Amino acid sequence: MKKIIAVIRREFVERVRTRAFLISTILLPVFIVMMAVLPGLMMSGSDRTSRVAVVDASSVGLGPSVSQAMQSEKLGDGSSTRARYSVQVFPATAANLAAVRDGLIASTGFSGKGQKDGWDGVLVLTDDTLTSGKLDYYGSNVGSLDSMSKLQRSVSTALAGVRLGKSGVDAALVKRAMAPAEMDTTKVSDGRLTGQSGQDSFLIAYFMGFILYISILLYGQQTMTSVIEEKSSRIMEVLTSSLTPFQMLLGKVLGVGMAGLAQMAIWGGSVFLVSSQRVHLAGIFGMSADAVRSFPIPSMAPGLLVVFLLYFALGFLLYGALYAAIGAMCNTIQETQQYAVFVTMSILVGFFSVFSLIKDPTGSLGVTMSYIPLFAPFTMPVRWSLSSVPPLQLALSLGLMVLALLACIWLAARIYRTGILMYGKKPSWRELLRWIRA
Amino acid sequence: MPLPSVSVESVTKRFSGHTAVNRLSLEVSAGGIFGLLGPNGAGKSTTIRLIMGILEPDEGRVSLFGSAHGSRKLSARIGYLPEERGLYKKMKVLDHLIFLGETKGISRADARRRAQAWLERLGISEWALKKVEDLSKGMQQKVQFAGALLHEPELVILDEPFSGLDPVNAQVMKDIVVEIAASGRTVLFSTHVMEQAERMCDRIAIIARGETVVSGTVAQVKAGFGGRHVALGFSHDKPRAEAILADRSLIARVDDYGASAELQMVDGADPEQLLAALVHAGVGLRRFEVVEPSLHAIFIAKVGADAAIAHAGAAA
Repeated sequence: MKKIIAVIRREFVERVRTRAFLISTILLPVFIVMMAVLPGLMMSGSDRTSRVAVVDASSVGLGPSVSQAMQSEKLGDGSSTRARYSVQVFPATAANLAAVRDGLIASTGFSGKGQKDGWDGVLVLTDDTLTSGKLDYYGSNVGSLDSMSKLQRSVSTALAGVRLGKSGVDAALVKRAMAPAEMDTTKVSDGRLTGQSGQDSFLIAYFMGFILYISILLYGQQTMTSVIEEKSSRIMEVLTSSLTPFQMLLGKVLGVGMAGLAQMAIWGGSVFLVSSQRVHLAGIFGMSADAVRSFPIPSMAPGLLVVFLLYFALGFLLYGALYAAIGAMCNTIQETQQYAVFVTMSILVGFFSVFSLIKDPTGSLGVTMSYIPLFAPFTMPVRWSLSSVPPLQLALSLGLMVLALLACIWLAARIYRTGILMYGKKPSWRELLRWIRA
Repeated sequence: MPLPSVSVESVTKRFSGHTAVNRLSLEVSAGGIFGLLGPNGAGKSTTIRLIMGILEPDEGRVSLFGSAHGSRKLSARIGYLPEERGLYKKMKVLDHLIFLGETKGISRADARRRAQAWLERLGISEWALKKVEDLSKGMQQKVQFAGALLHEPELVILDEPFSGLDPVNAQVMKDIVVEIAASGRTVLFSTHVMEQAERMCDRIAIIARGETVVSGTVAQVKAGFGGRHVALGFSHDKPRAEAILADRSLIARVDDYGASAELQMVDGADPEQLLAALVHAGVGLRRFEVVEPSLHAIFIAKVGADAAIAHAGAAA
C-alpha cells in the first residue's frame, strides 16, 4: 500500500509540475467555452438584418401580407431589438416573373461590403403558393437551418392569415388566433421540481459529456505515453524488481487520474468563484447586473454531482487501465495507434450517444448503453440529469462498471507483467492471449 | 552452514529460436563478492534477470535466501543495478532517489536522509535539485548505483557495474563494492573485464553460451586450471624470442601482449630451461616470473577466442 502511494505521489507531482499541465489548465477552459458557444452561434444564424426581396407574382396580393409578417419578426430580445428582415416587394406577372426574379438574383449573395444594395435572398410568391403552399427562396443563407425555419414560419403565418381572410375571418381575430404559445420548461425529478429549466438540463448534460470526453482522451493518452516512456528509458527493469505489475498499474492510473481531477478542481473552483462574484466582477467591467444575470450559469443538483463524479471516476480508471495496457504492449507511440483506435472509438461512441440521449433520455438505446461499462460513464449522468433513473438501474449499471473495472485492471496487469519488459517487436493477438493466460 | 544468498539450479531459458541459458547452476554463499564472468552474449544478463525474477525460467529453479518466493517479495533485502540503466529523465535527482527508496519500502524521511548522504559520498550533492537529464552519463550511473544501495540491502546484484565509467569513478564504485562485502553483505556482479574480477572477487563462475564453464573460489579455479605459467616482460630484442616461444615441446600456449607475454609451459617442462634459452638468444628481459595463471588466460583458454568473436555484438 505504501508503495502504491509512492507511485501515485510520483505520478501526480511530476505531472502537476510540468509546463504542459499549467498551459492546459489555462487553455482548455477557453477551448471548452469556444466549443460550447460556437455551435450555438453557428446554429442560431445571423444576428444582422437580412435584406429580402419578395417577388409577388400572385394575383391575390400575397406580397404585402408576407412582407408584413416578416417585418414583425424581431432580432434579439429585451431592449435592443431590431427588425429581422428588411423587405421590399417587387410585383410581377406570370409573364415577366422569370426576368424579375433573375434580375434580383443577379444582385444577391454578395457579402455586405461587396455590394451595398445587394440582397440576402429572393422570395418568390405565385398563385400556387396560396393553394399548395409551395414557394421558392433563393439566398446566400440557405445553409442555416435556423434561418430557414424562421423564414418558413413567417411565410406560413402570413399564408394562414391570407387564407383565413379569404374565407371571411376578421383580420383582428386572425391576429389573436395566431398569437404563438410561449412555453417555459422546468424539469421534475422524483416528484419534485429541480429548478432547472430544460435549457439548463441540456447544458449540463452537454457539459458533463464534454468534460468526460476531453479528460479521458487527454489523461488516458498520458497514461499510455508514460508507460511507453518507462519502457524506453528502461526504468521499468528497476521498478519491476520492487513493485508488482498491479502496484505499478494502479499507482500510475490513480496518479495520472488525480492530476486530472486536480486540474478539474481548479476549473470547477474558478467557475464557482467567478459565478458567485459575477455581479461584482461585472461592475468592474462596466456591465449592468441585469445583463449578467441573464447569462445562464446552470447549477448542478447535489445528487447529479455525486452520480457524475462516481461515473467520472470509474470511467476514468477503466479507460486509464485500458490505455496503460496498450502502452505495455507497444514500444512507440506510433505503434499504439493500432490498438488505441478501438478505445478512442468507444469514447467517441459514448460521447456522441449523449446527443441522441438528449432527445430521448428514457429510450431503450440509453438504457442499453448505460449497462455497457465503456459507455455508461457518458450515458448515465446524462440520463440522470434529463430524466429520473430507477434506482435499480443505477445500481445495476454501477455494479457492472465496478466489475468491468476490476476485470480490466486484472487483464491489464497480466499484459503489463509480460509486456513491460518486451522490447523490440510488437506482439500478435495470439501472443497477447498467451500473456493473459500465462 | 548458512543458506546460500542465491541458488540457481539447472535453469534453462529459451528465447524464440535460441537457448540463452542452458541448464545453468550457481550458488552464491552469503558474504563476499561473487563474479559472474563471460564473453558478450554468454547469458550473464539473462541469468541475472532470472535471479531477479524479471524473467521466468523455462526449466529449473531459482531461490533467494533459501526461499522460492522470488525477488519481488524479498526486494527490501536486494539491491539491483540492471545492465540497461534507466531513470526518469525529468525527475530531480534527489526526488528520484527518494522514490526508489520508497519502492523498497523505506519511509520518505529516511529515504531523503540516506539519499543526501549518498549524493554527498558520490560527490554529486550539488546536482541534487537538477533534473536527471541534465547529468552526464557517468553521473546518471552513479545516481542509479546509489538508488540500488539506498535501502542497505544484504544482497547486491550489479550487472556490469563498471562499464562506461572513467577510472576515477570506477575506483569510487569499486571501493563501495568492497566496503559492502567487508560489512558482511553479499555482492554478485557480472563483468567481462577479467582483471577486475580477479582483483575483487572471492568466488567466480565463468559462463559461455549459457553454460557454466568453471566455478569456485579464484584460487580453486586457478589450481584446477593447472600447468606452470610464466610472465615475461621484454626490454629489447624481442624478435629473437620468437623461435623459442614457438617451441611446442616447451611452451603449450602463448598470450602475447607485445611488450609482455604470458606463457603456459608444457607439462614437465622446466621454466629454468626457458630462461636459459631466452638469455642465450640475447633477448632483453625486464621480468621473468613463475606465476599463477591469470583469470584472463583461463578465460581465453576455456572459452576460446573464437567464441568471444562469434558472440560479440549479440546482446550480453
